[in-house]
Amino acid sequence: MTKRYVMVHDENKCIGCQACNVACRSENSTPDAVTRIQVRIEGPHGHYPDLHFKYHRVSCQQCENAPCVEVCPTGAAYVGDDGIISINKDKCVGCQYCIAACPYKVRFINPETRVPDKCDFCKHSRLAEGKQPACVSVCPTDALTFGDANDPSSDVAQLLDTRIHFQDKAHLGTKPRVYRIPGKRGGINQ
Amino acid sequence: MNNIWGSMEQYDPVVWNWMIAVYLFMAGLSAGSVMVAIGLRWYKRSRGLPVEGLPVIKASAIIGPAAICAGMALLVFDLTKPFDFYLILLNYNLTSVMAWGVLVLLLYIPLMFVYFALVFQQVLLERVPALTGLINVLRVIEQPLLKLMFVLAIGVAIYTGFLLSAMISYPILNTAVLPALFLASALSMGSASNILLATLAFNKSDSDCIEQVHRIEYPVAFNEALCLVLLFVGLNFSGPAAQAATAAISSGVWAQVFWFGVVGLGLAVPVLASTLAPVAWRHSKAFLIGVSSCTILGVLALRHFVVYAGQMYIS
Repeated sequence: MTKRYVMVHDENKCIGCQACNVACRSENSTPDAVTRIQVRIEGPHGHYPDLHFKYHRVSCQQCENAPCVEVCPTGAAYVGDDGIISINKDKCVGCQYCIAACPYKVRFINPETRVPDKCDFCKHSRLAEGKQPACVSVCPTDALTFGDANDPSSDVAQLLDTRIHFQDKAHLGTKPRVYRIPGKRGGINQ
Repeated sequence: MNNIWGSMEQYDPVVWNWMIAVYLFMAGLSAGSVMVAIGLRWYKRSRGLPVEGLPVIKASAIIGPAAICAGMALLVFDLTKPFDFYLILLNYNLTSVMAWGVLVLLLYIPLMFVYFALVFQQVLLERVPALTGLINVLRVIEQPLLKLMFVLAIGVAIYTGFLLSAMISYPILNTAVLPALFLASALSMGSASNILLATLAFNKSDSDCIEQVHRIEYPVAFNEALCLVLLFVGLNFSGPAAQAATAAISSGVWAQVFWFGVVGLGLAVPVLASTLAPVAWRHSKAFLIGVSSCTILGVLALRHFVVYAGQMYIS
């Protein structure tokens, strides 16, 4: 059976500390001006004294029906055998069609390479070494879980089987592979 | 404000800027101008009237190649890797509208130079007599070539609409009416630009075809207005995000561009001028120049409105 890498972000466990953001920057040598992940702290919601925040992870959703791959004129944005969407620098002309087409607005031009960049689940570095993505490894509250959803015994498959979850902008039909477990206090904030 | 999660600058939803808007304008200008001129040629021929040397056709033979080349230059400058633009000519992903556009333009652009050569045969051969043989061959296949150019021009005008409508997260752009709107507005600026250049640069007394070109402006303007109405009425029925995007025509700077530029200059001024102006004015040079310029500026405003307002609202 082929692998189906997914990430689950438990918004109950997340504290918005940005350790994932910093670990990603360090692992992937992301230039200072840009970023591959952000956990946006939204709120406060509710009425005093019962206030709470929501934690919204913004990063590549690794869509199964990826608009960026569909619109890329040269095939520089492509889906690998493992289902992970990457960018072939040698084919890219920098038309920015993929950036405009991404409904999650997570692609950006890397100021050093002049090519679009984004999260690739640390495919070429940590994943290739059999390790978890940097953000998952560093998360102090274990809010992130990563693995092969096609393997029923994996942590992600068990989480998705047992916990209520949602995906961002599911109505667009992109089938994102980043799943979110909504915070108990809040509604779903897409 | 500084966020703990970092700068939000890279998340600006407006990715494509004025360069793309002007490119879309230039591509529409070239395609519209050639469609109108070839259409006029067929109309004249079907009535047994002469078609050589018509000022409107001469104008289109200059606008056709010049506008598409200027647009292409802008498009290349807008790439983040302009010196690698050749990669787009070697690699094709056929699910991408842009790849289809490249294929169409690959045929269309050289044919624009052929079109120029056929219309300005005399002038060209005086300067470069070596081209005589080539032009004679092209002359033999002129009719099928014109048909091909007409079809490709429709392709160029429409593809620019599909280019934007393929972006699923922008409700204003992700509509089927956009390619139709771009085709209608390409025809409208095509006829206006032909009239403008013909009036400015070529002798009108050769044969007065400006009136005939002028006549298509009403149905075209009507279609353009209809597409705009369909676009915004459609948005109103397409869910909350699309409904929110209708604010593009009610608030902000792009609403002003829409009402003053697109509707005012581009549609109201030409239609009112042509219906209300005294008959004596209608043939004057100043009137033709003024009205055509308004139409062209209106379509330029439309392309900017669509590109900017279209990207500002996200579903």
